[in-house]
Amino acid sequence: MTDRELERALADLGAHLEHSATPPIAAAVAVRLAEAPAPSPGRRGRVARAARARARLRRPLPRPRWQRLALACLAVVALATAVLAASPATREAAARLLGLRGVRIEIGGPGPAATTRVGGELYLGDLATLDEARQQVRFPVVVPTVPGFERPDAVYVDPRVPADGRVDFIYRPRPGLPAAPGTGVGLLVTQFRASVDQNFVKKAQLGEGSLEVVTVNGEFGYWFATEHGFSYLDRNGNELPETSRLAGSTLIWERGGLTLRLEGQVSKEQALRIAESMR
Amino acid sequence: MAQALLGGRGGSELPPHGTGTARSTKLPEPNDPCGCIKHDTQSVEGRPLDTDDRLVERAQQGDVHAYGALVQRYQNLAYRTAYLVTGAAADAEDAAQEGFVKAYYALARFRAGAPFRPWLLAIVANEARNRRRSARRQGDLAVRVAEDRPSGDAAPSPEVAALAGERRRTLLAAVNRLSAADREMIACRYFLELSEAEVAATLGCRRGTVKSRTSRALTRLRAVLAEQGDGQAMSVTLEGGGE
Repeated sequence: MTDRELERALADLGAHLEHSATPPIAAAVAVRLAEAPAPSPGRRGRVARAARARARLRRPLPRPRWQRLALACLAVVALATAVLAASPATREAAARLLGLRGVRIEIGGPGPAATTRVGGELYLGDLATLDEARQQVRFPVVVPTVPGFERPDAVYVDPRVPADGRVDFIYRPRPGLPAAPGTGVGLLVTQFRASVDQNFVKKAQLGEGSLEVVTVNGEFGYWFATEHGFSYLDRNGNELPETSRLAGSTLIWERGGLTLRLEGQVSKEQALRIAESMR
Repeated sequence: MAQALLGGRGGSELPPHGTGTARSTKLPEPNDPCGCIKHDTQSVEGRPLDTDDRLVERAQQGDVHAYGALVQRYQNLAYRTAYLVTGAAADAEDAAQEGFVKAYYALARFRAGAPFRPWLLAIVANEARNRRRSARRQGDLAVRVAEDRPSGDAAPSPEVAALAGERRRTLLAAVNRLSAADREMIACRYFLELSEAEVAATLGCRRGTVKSRTSRALTRLRAVLAEQGDGQAMSVTLEGGGE
């Protein structure tokens, strides 16, 4: 076998190597940076010492997957409280690094109670049928297939914001699906196509609560177990104060190029089951 | 209907049915943003991505948004690099994470104009090596079970696919038996497809030695293949299943 053949075989092998999906590194880095002071040339020694101290705290041995996930969750929960005292710059770091396409997550800042109204308006589009909604947006609309959720009680469509439109499903409260604080409805499911770069269509501001990184059909998402602030942003990333409200437990995730959001008084397992069933 | 949905939940209102477009609940049009101050550093939808140089420069000036963009851009590559060094997904995740955090704190020492990618990969690879040392072993790399194929290609016959899979496993078994240094060299050059300059920076060796080291690694790989008794088989399947 010539060198060239061997090289070609290696390149082919490289394309077929097993990789698990890239874990949410950006989110974890955001958490880590938010825990630490911002660097500056004048504080190099102190920063280096801090880095060494953090390095000593690193877990030295590989841990089973479930344990690692638990640690990640704890880290985020700790952050939510710890960052309240951090500088605006480090909060900004977390804000920029955490999130999905079209969703910005901010950690810390004033608690949601101080900044958001309970039960503010939902900023839905126009009431429509599912078929009408499908015609008005420029992405394939997906619907839950879990029994009881196949037919939303109401469908709203906004064909223009964001650019490819947005669809909201409303499910009325019923036994097993209580009215959620923040929306007053049983379940609110939102879907839109975010741009490749972050376009900041929404942001969630997390007070003291838990935030967990989850996967939905293999793609990343976040589960907010507790109440948190929620608002829409304009195209420049500025918050629209009139849209600010308190949101209950929420799952946000990506699916193909879509970003989806599910809010309601449901358990994480229920939320994941509904999310994974969407077709 | 929409009103009925709200049930008597005070304060929480859905827009009533049929009130059309003039509602106050409408989001502003994309071309009509609210009059808030626009941040200079804000990335705007649709704008071409900044170059590494520009992002690094902004990050050095304290713009964490710029660093966030770099993390987003290179998290896949960093993770792959770490994985190829450690052979363990969990260690690779830790190493990539730690690499990005350390790189952030080292930005002040980053020489302006130097390429960011190999500099970052060097930090990540170093973290990955530390974890490999702690674990006292190098995890074996594995070939994907489901063999996919480039789109547009005709489906290979089951025999051809099986043969290709077998060839890859044979070759990988040999790669896994190489020393850590040789495996790193081969991974950087052929799996990550880095340039010679990038390999040198990532592995911390002189650029002039990359060629000779790669060549020596290939020679040893060939020896391992021969030892496995697979050299001939590899050669045959390569020719049989060529491009």
